[in-house]
Amino acid sequence: MKSTATFLTILAAATALSASVNAAELRMSWWGGGSRHEATQAALKICGEKYGHTINPEFTGWKGYLEKLTTQLAGGTEADIMQVNWPWLPLFSFKGDGFADLNSFKDTIDLSQWTDAQLDAATMNGKLNGLPLATTGRVFMFNKTVFDKAGLDLPKDWSELIADAAVIQEKLGEDSYPLEVTEDNPVLIIMLIATQRTGKDMIDPATNRMAWSLEELTDAVKFYGNLVDKNVTRSWKSWASEGNIKLYESPKWSDGKIAGSYEWDSTYFKYADPLEGKGELVPVSMLKVDGAVTEGVYRKPSMVFSISKRSENQKAAAEILNCLLTEKEGIEALGATRGLPASKIAAQTLMDAGVVRPELVSANKIVMAGTGPTVSPFNEHPRIRESFKDAIEMYAYGEFSAEEAADEIIYNVNDILEKYDQ
Amino acid sequence: MGGENRYLGLAYLSPYIVGLLVFTAFPFAYSFYLSFTDYSLMSSPEWVGLDNYTKLFTRDRTFDKSLKVTLIYVFSTVPLKLVFALFIAVILNYKLKAINFFRTAYYVPSILGGSIAIAVLWRYVFADTGLVNMVLGAVGIEGINWFGDPTNALFTITLLRCWQFGSAMVIFLAALQGVDKSLYEAAAVDDANQWQVFRHITLPLITPVIFFNLIMQSVQAFQEFNGPYIITNGGPLKSTYLLPLYIYDKAFRNFEMGYASAIAWILFTMIMVLTVVAFWSSKKWVYYAGDKRS
Repeated sequence: MKSTATFLTILAAATALSASVNAAELRMSWWGGGSRHEATQAALKICGEKYGHTINPEFTGWKGYLEKLTTQLAGGTEADIMQVNWPWLPLFSFKGDGFADLNSFKDTIDLSQWTDAQLDAATMNGKLNGLPLATTGRVFMFNKTVFDKAGLDLPKDWSELIADAAVIQEKLGEDSYPLEVTEDNPVLIIMLIATQRTGKDMIDPATNRMAWSLEELTDAVKFYGNLVDKNVTRSWKSWASEGNIKLYESPKWSDGKIAGSYEWDSTYFKYADPLEGKGELVPVSMLKVDGAVTEGVYRKPSMVFSISKRSENQKAAAEILNCLLTEKEGIEALGATRGLPASKIAAQTLMDAGVVRPELVSANKIVMAGTGPTVSPFNEHPRIRESFKDAIEMYAYGEFSAEEAADEIIYNVNDILEKYDQ
Repeated sequence: MGGENRYLGLAYLSPYIVGLLVFTAFPFAYSFYLSFTDYSLMSSPEWVGLDNYTKLFTRDRTFDKSLKVTLIYVFSTVPLKLVFALFIAVILNYKLKAINFFRTAYYVPSILGGSIAIAVLWRYVFADTGLVNMVLGAVGIEGINWFGDPTNALFTITLLRCWQFGSAMVIFLAALQGVDKSLYEAAAVDDANQWQVFRHITLPLITPVIFFNLIMQSVQAFQEFNGPYIITNGGPLKSTYLLPLYIYDKAFRNFEMGYASAIAWILFTMIMVLTVVAFWSSKKWVYYAGDKRS
């Protein structure tokens, strides 16, 4: 009896010692709102307890997160686990060496829960730099109530939408428009049109240069100009008259004066909530131009979880990531606070539990079903986006012709990309 | 001071000295070095000599535009604000009923003025369906596109700055109250009218304070950020894109720290030169009591 007790004591001590040897203290950083913060902290507590690690949360709002992350990465003080926006991957890790290569942890992380395409999108120079959290894309959403009032069905292609604009203006007033093409949308719509007509993404993956010719881009710019001329959307100048505000904050949106937009599927409720009781927001299939060779869906991982290449506890961090994204307790605690999960088991678990609202699933299905070339993360490079937008603004204000705007865009995009030549 | 006391004094001063060196002097000097480098934060700074400055003055249209907008903003805002602050201070210098209430009421905007909340409020007041256009509409005037028209947008931002005249006004008020009353009595004996009294007694005697306010307001105007960032985000067509916004975008959106540092140093040099010019010119128009020239 005495020997059994001694044996059990030694065993217990050894187990405790083993747990404390494996226990790691980690840091994790992310951006988001209140619900995401709460859910993530709860999930970290559960996963931390499961694996015997302590994870210190570091969370902020979206604004300033990129600046903070960049400063931390530059100073080598980044958290062990980081939430990284997908278009930032080439900024931090163009050669794939900015973050830990998660392929090294395939024994710890169940990578089979992601499709090859999803993993490819998060792979830089052959190294898996992050685990995609959700796949998102731009989708057209229309206020069906406004279209009903005008006696119209929701549009199925661009020519129908252009024809609808005249009817909406006639029946609902000259300050009514079926679509909002302002802020970032002139850029995204021009990209969409050029992609639909050419079948190519803006950046040629083979050369890492602008894929569209001057003529192709000029035609797409003109298409945007035509949308303004035909009152499909209000002009840039008219939009700017409201000051620097978001569409979903504008009374023109909530009052139905603007009856549609082209937004991330995951932001559906941001636009639907202001219409509550006044309108029904319906996501529709991609609108196509005549002669389109593809739907040109703009689909990409919304964000990834990455592990610091400097972390001394990479394996522990990998265990936590696996728990958050592929294990039941982590998935349930994290919920849908980062959109419909990219991880198959996470998506299924949340849908079975009824956590993901059907409207979000419906918008996401359109994105997932759409056809189009793989989108380069350079499309959202801050300088590329800014120079594209500046040129289109000049066009919108009559300072540039369509051809001059296209020429300016091509020159600037190539100039920026040139800096990334290996 | 004895040896031990000297060390004790230095010990008391050390938090400030360390703070000054670490958080002001070092970044100041380092940013000068960075302005000659290509530095994206993710790699070590790479020395490029005068490339950043050459690019700024020869190939950067955005810088040209931003510089022009900044100068227009400073040279329109500062005189307007000073004249308005002095005008209100003169009124509030009279012995009126409830004068303390009015003094407080006029000062309040400058407490709130620099805040994000007021910038947001300004955005709503001047929006196409905002209060100003509603009032214009009520008197039969067609609404104005304040933010969407490049010619109006800067004016709207300028108005916000002028509206924050309280701190300059309070300083003017203190100066006005410090003017020797016997000079006014002498002027009354000589039958001077109110304008003559203001022009020949009040104004010369408060020139040191006008000079102080001119310098302070100019420096602040050159550094304006919140208003245009929140209200127009620098648009439309960069018509409200002041240099601090450009520095912010280059540094924290594009991560071109070297280039942003070069712009910051140009801004610093401009402020410096204008301040030196102001000090030089002050010999000709600022009157100090006891000055031997007087």
